[in-house]
Order: sequence, then C-alpha cells, then structure tokens
Amino acid sequence: MNLPHIHLLLNHWPIIGTFIGLGLFVIALATRNRDLRQASYVLFAALAILALPVYLSGNAAAEVLRKQQGWSASLAETHEGAAMLALLAMGLTGIFSVCGLWPSAKSSKVDESHAQSWVSLAVLLSALATAGLMAVAGNTGGNISHEEIVKEGEAPSEIAQLGAKVVLATRYFVIDYSRWVWPMVEDLHFIGLILLIGVVGIISIRTLGFFKQLPLGPLQRLIPLGLLGFVINVVTGFMFFIGMPFFYYANWYFQLKIFAIFIAAAVLVLFYCTSMFQKFGNAGAGQDAPMVAKLVAGASLVLWIVIVIIGRYIPLGESV
Amino acid sequence: MNVPHFFLTIEDSGLSMWVRDNPFWAILSIHALGMALLVGASMLIALRILGIPQGLPFAPLKRLYSFIWAGFWIQFVSGGLLLIGYPTKSLTNLDFYIKMVLIVAGMVAMVMLKKRVFTEPALSDTDIRLRGKALAILSLLFWAGVVTSGRMLAYTYTHVSYPG
Repeated sequence: MNLPHIHLLLNHWPIIGTFIGLGLFVIALATRNRDLRQASYVLFAALAILALPVYLSGNAAAEVLRKQQGWSASLAETHEGAAMLALLAMGLTGIFSVCGLWPSAKSSKVDESHAQSWVSLAVLLSALATAGLMAVAGNTGGNISHEEIVKEGEAPSEIAQLGAKVVLATRYFVIDYSRWVWPMVEDLHFIGLILLIGVVGIISIRTLGFFKQLPLGPLQRLIPLGLLGFVINVVTGFMFFIGMPFFYYANWYFQLKIFAIFIAAAVLVLFYCTSMFQKFGNAGAGQDAPMVAKLVAGASLVLWIVIVIIGRYIPLGESV
Repeated sequence: MNVPHFFLTIEDSGLSMWVRDNPFWAILSIHALGMALLVGASMLIALRILGIPQGLPFAPLKRLYSFIWAGFWIQFVSGGLLLIGYPTKSLTNLDFYIKMVLIVAGMVAMVMLKKRVFTEPALSDTDIRLRGKALAILSLLFWAGVVTSGRMLAYTYTHVSYPG
C-alpha cells in the first residue's frame, strides 16, 4: 500500500457517496423523515473527512504517472483544479451538516424548526454543488489514465480550469506574494490549535471524571469553538499543502499526522453523531460519564496531543 | 550590530550544544503543548467571563489556574532551554522582547482577573461580566500577541548564532 494506491482506493467514495447522500437527503426532505435527514448529515460529515486524504494523495499519484507514456501535465492540472473545488464544496457540505446535527439550544420548537430549515437549504445547495464538482473531478481524473475515454478534440472542463487557476493563485499567494503570508498562516494554525486543544482538553478532562462540578451539558456548547479551530487548521493546513505539495506529500511526519487526524476526527464524528453521545450529553454536575464516553475522551485527548507533536516534527521530514 | 561576547559563551556551553542537537524538536513540541495548556486554560476563563458558554457554573473554573501555572512553568523551562540553545538568535531580535513583555502582561491580567472575579463566592453572571470584561478581553489580546510574536521569532531573526 502506498500513496497512489490510497488515492485510487479512496477517490471513488466521496463521488459516489455524495450522490447517494444527496438522494437520501432529498427523500428525507420530501417525506419529512428526521432520522433519514440526520443519517444524510452523518454521511456528508464522514465524506468530508474522507475527501481530505484523497486530495492529499493526488500529487503522489501524479508523480508515478509522470514517468509513464502519454502523460499530460495539463490534464493533471485540470484534475487538481476540479478536485480542489470539489473538496471545498464537500468541506462546506460537511460543516453545514455538522450544524444540522448540532442539538439546538433554541428554547422554542418553532425557532428550532426555523433554524433547521435554513440548515437543510444550505446542505441541499452545497451538496448539489458538491455532486456536480465531484463529477467533474472524477471525469478529469479518469481522463488522466484512461486515454480510451477521452474524445478527440474535447475541450477540457471550464470549471476544472477555473479551479486550476485558483490552485495556482493560492500557491502564488502563500509562497510568492509576500514573505509574511506564510508566517501569518502559521500563526493562524497555532491559534486554531489552541482553540481545538483547549476545547477537546476541558471536555475530555471532565468526561474522564475530573472537574466534576462542571455539568457536561453547558460544557458541550464549547464544541462549535473547537470545530472552528479544526476548520481554521484544515484551511490553513491546505494553504501550506497547496503552497508546497511536493515537500509535504512525501514527508513521513506529514503522512502520519494526516492519518492521526483522520482517526481522531472519525472517532469524534462517530461518537457525537450517534446515540452514544445522546445518552450522556446532558450529564449534570457531579454525574459520572459512561465508560464508552471515557474511552473516547481519553483516546481523543491523547490523539490530538500526539497530532500536535507530530506536526511540530514536520520540518524535520525534509531530510528523511 | 555589536553582539555581546557573552552570547558566544552560552552557545559554547555543553547545555546549549545539547539543546541544538537532537532534543531541539522535542523541546519545541513541549513548548507547543505548554502553549495550548497555558493559553487554552486562560482562554476558557476569559470566554466564560464574556458569557461563553452560557449556563456553565463559574466558581469551579478557578481550578483552571493550576493548569495556567503548570503551563506557565512548562513554557518557562522549555522556553529557557530554547533560549540557551540559541541565545544570539533570540536576544538580538526585538520581537523576542515584545514577546516577553506580552507574556508578563498576559500573566498579570490572569492574576488580576483571579482577584476580581474568583475571590468572592456567589457572584452573579452580571457581576462577573461587569468586573472582569475589560481584563478578559485584554488577556485574550495579550495571549494572541504572545502566540503571534512567538511564531514570528522563526521568521524575524537576523543571526542564527554568534556572528563571526
């Protein structure tokens, strides 16, 4: 198993998954089926996390194909552009879906259904955009290594080419525009780290049984802040990656870090989006959390700390 | 700029050479985690004073001060080791002194906050907000400044080691 293999293994999932999710979601809206709607949200959130390693393994796959006959750099750049836009749309769909899963703090039922219909609309629109962009990403990707399906004189997708321009503009902005852009993005990455570790830390510590005077219900209201830190770090992290993809994708520490983030994020999505969380989410002051919650809290705390440490070692990966 | 010869004496010491050797990245990792502890705990207190999250009892958060002090001393020791490893790099950089001043400001703000909002029990949310709002906002700004000036140390130095 290597990175090009991972790229091929995972790349169909976000594409097909988005179509399936969109189908389920539309049915859920049409039949006003709340459980099905929640299930689509979980699927979208999971797909957004799955799409990250797909994008990050793309450059490695390109490196292998570069040595083969019939390689076209422009086809690869077009695909990279489409993939970037698809990832962006997938990420937005994931964020909106998590908002939909969030237990509403609104006091009245009318307010809650009002907020939910806005979230539904946002998820519907962004999932539609994601499905379209995923289709383009899949097509342009297929064109790279399947010459037989490329029609003679077929014009490359305009959307994908626009995406390719966005990739180049981002790289220019991060690397060449000013020598201060990279440091400022680093700074934001550290601020995001504090938000994420601060929130994961206090909730995990409480769940494990310390600070028992703090009721878990109100403490969970910090989760959006932790998610904000996560989103800041995914965005700034991708700015680094798009700036220097060839430094990162072959970097062993970077690969390990992405793997660890993938596991840590999947653990939290599975935990918070299922009944495991509903059971203890409102534990009051002095109440003990169930064993499953303690295991998840302990694992999360350790994983996110390890992720910070691995991240700090990435500059060393240069010489590996 | 005339760099004091004293910096070279530090750089030639065994401890300084040890820091620059293998453990450098480990110390840097500890410094990042200590930052999360110190700034994270301070941030939770400041945000709660500003009303985030609602409904969280305030008094138990006093215990976060042990995290703040643990974080502070982790940063003091790990930062001190990094300074011994690269004295010229840090001490010839104005940004380093800005960071030190901001750390003092951040800690003073946290200690003052403790006096204002944690010593009297059973303060109402409105009282806490009234007494602590300005200091809470200031402390958040100070810590953001500490993180930023700290991060900039890697990009603003003029000498990596004693020149010559």
